Amino acid sequence: MKEELLVVGGGIVGLSCAYEAAKRGGRKVTIVDRGDFGGQASGAAAGMLAPYTENSEQPDPFFRLCLDSLRLYPEWAEEIERLSGISVELTHTGSIQVALHEADMLPLRTRQRWQNEWGARAEWLDAADLRRLEPGLSSAAAGGLYCPEESHVYAPKLVKALEAACRRLGVRCAGNAGDTVDLMLDGGRVRLVTGTGGRFEADRVIVCAGAWTGAFERWFGFAVPVNPIRGQICAYHSPIGEVRRMVFTSQAYWVGKRNGTLVCGASEDIAGFDTSVTERGIARLTRWSGRVFPALADRSPVHRWAGLRPATLDGWPLLGPVPGAPQAVVAAGHYRNGILLAPVTAKRICDVLDGKLPAAELAPFAPDRFAASARTLG
Amino acid sequence: MKRYDSQLEIGGTKLRSRLFLGTGRFPNPAVLQQSLEASGAEVITFAVRRVNLDSVEDDSVLQHVEDRSLVYLPNTSGAGNADEAVRIAKLARAAGLGNWIKVEISRDERTLLPDPLETLRATERLVREGFVALPYTSDDPMLCRRLEEAGAAAVMPGGAPIGTGLGILNPYNLGLIAEQSGVPVIVDAGLGSAQDVVQAMELGADGILVNTPVAKAQDPVAMAKAMRLAVEAGRLSAMAGRIPRKPYASASSSTEGALFGGPYAAGSAIEGRRAETSAEGLRR
Repeated sequence: MKEELLVVGGGIVGLSCAYEAAKRGGRKVTIVDRGDFGGQASGAAAGMLAPYTENSEQPDPFFRLCLDSLRLYPEWAEEIERLSGISVELTHTGSIQVALHEADMLPLRTRQRWQNEWGARAEWLDAADLRRLEPGLSSAAAGGLYCPEESHVYAPKLVKALEAACRRLGVRCAGNAGDTVDLMLDGGRVRLVTGTGGRFEADRVIVCAGAWTGAFERWFGFAVPVNPIRGQICAYHSPIGEVRRMVFTSQAYWVGKRNGTLVCGASEDIAGFDTSVTERGIARLTRWSGRVFPALADRSPVHRWAGLRPATLDGWPLLGPVPGAPQAVVAAGHYRNGILLAPVTAKRICDVLDGKLPAAELAPFAPDRFAASARTLG
Repeated sequence: MKRYDSQLEIGGTKLRSRLFLGTGRFPNPAVLQQSLEASGAEVITFAVRRVNLDSVEDDSVLQHVEDRSLVYLPNTSGAGNADEAVRIAKLARAAGLGNWIKVEISRDERTLLPDPLETLRATERLVREGFVALPYTSDDPMLCRRLEEAGAAAVMPGGAPIGTGLGILNPYNLGLIAEQSGVPVIVDAGLGSAQDVVQAMELGADGILVNTPVAKAQDPVAMAKAMRLAVEAGRLSAMAGRIPRKPYASASSSTEGALFGGPYAAGSAIEGRRAETSAEGLRR
């Protein structure tokens, strides 16, 4: 008899785990989401695959996880495109971190020094190089670090393609199920009850509940501090090629998409589970956009949207089995890096399910790592 | 005479907390806010180069602390010489970030150690320009003295290179700086955990600035609280007066307290203890 696997959460991480498990075969896979598939953070994402830019400090285990995932991307994306018939628009543009002050240069050179030992092949750009590579940038830009390995995908299409690929592989997709109201992990089985009265039983479960993962601590029996952080983002009409590479600054980033939009993100707001778009949140992006790309100063964004990123205390995801309930595995808390980390997360988590990866290998990401210190504060 | 409950005063501002917190490297704004709360810090530092100087209220970090009553200590990190540092300080002041400035000048991308000559030059100029200058400096007692003479409102010697977590590499120098300094000594950079903070305070520091050991801890919020308690513990310990170090053991109870033949031999241990601590017991 086939093992039954339940995946809770249909964002990029849940869809990737369900897809990987179904692809490996031998399991009957069901994926449940509280709402529509495509998630919260996933839907809001600009789809940047930027492990170097997102990790400017040191080559820690999180950086290495991000880098492993970047290297898995081309083959993984192609496989999903083949199965789904949907292009995910993986685009190898490289990225530029712009130095707006002369004082930005020293930290960028520090970053370049260690990251080039990890295959970044990053190159320093002086003001003239920068103008040649990105003619639209403000003349205030003093230089920058060009990172040719970084790429991006179109996140809304990626989640659609993953959902289609899952269905193709026979994954049962149960959307609009409402919040999880009970999860029973006794007797080595998994029984899940949802807000709309949905009941699901399985042999194993992967919890990929993103910003809602904190609610699972009552069933796991240890603290799972995950904060929802709202990301607001907007997009301009922009002729293809107006901004050729992903451009990063301390306050915002820009990514040109193949549909003729230039995506600018993102805010990091503390607003609970509220996903509304605010005037202030978008205005800070548009004011800054006009300064960095003068041509955007008199243009208004044509789309504005928001999603919730799941933020852990150390910014690293929660990956691995639940202590005391080995039939439950967690893959959540990816914050700004869910799209980038999707392939590596799915592969590592399915390796754990298949008994090919000892949980100790994922120790830096252990889901219970905050159990000892959290709740010490009155 | 230093008193445990006396307030730290820098540039005429009295501060409630002796712990300064850097806002960089936090994984997300929620953790920054919670850590700030747990640390009790009143002074925060941030790199001017990272701030949205055109509209500070839009800034990706400062927007999350705008509701709090905080003293801003913008820093010139990334500056490679005195000219750059002075330019950065003026940008910060013009943007409404106040007139405190942490002078941070380095030109070594590997160690980020402060450049002593440029730091002294920048401090002299910034003081003349009316800034409350707090130079981040190497732990050199003579240099700290020169910075004080140049008008620094406090000196900020590092325990070890920024972000290394190596702790206090030269406690002798730091002790000397604390002993001689006429301005507050804020130990900045290189600390790893609460024990380094306690050590710095026991050496006589007036305050501590931390960023990486909190922001990059597994649980930054818990570490922020640990740092707050360590500042208090270290300061109290320094003032309480520690016992001298001795080469050999000395029993914490006298030999008369031995189980057989001592005063506890007759009657219950509780009675014996009470007798020992009472005046009568001491006379006995």
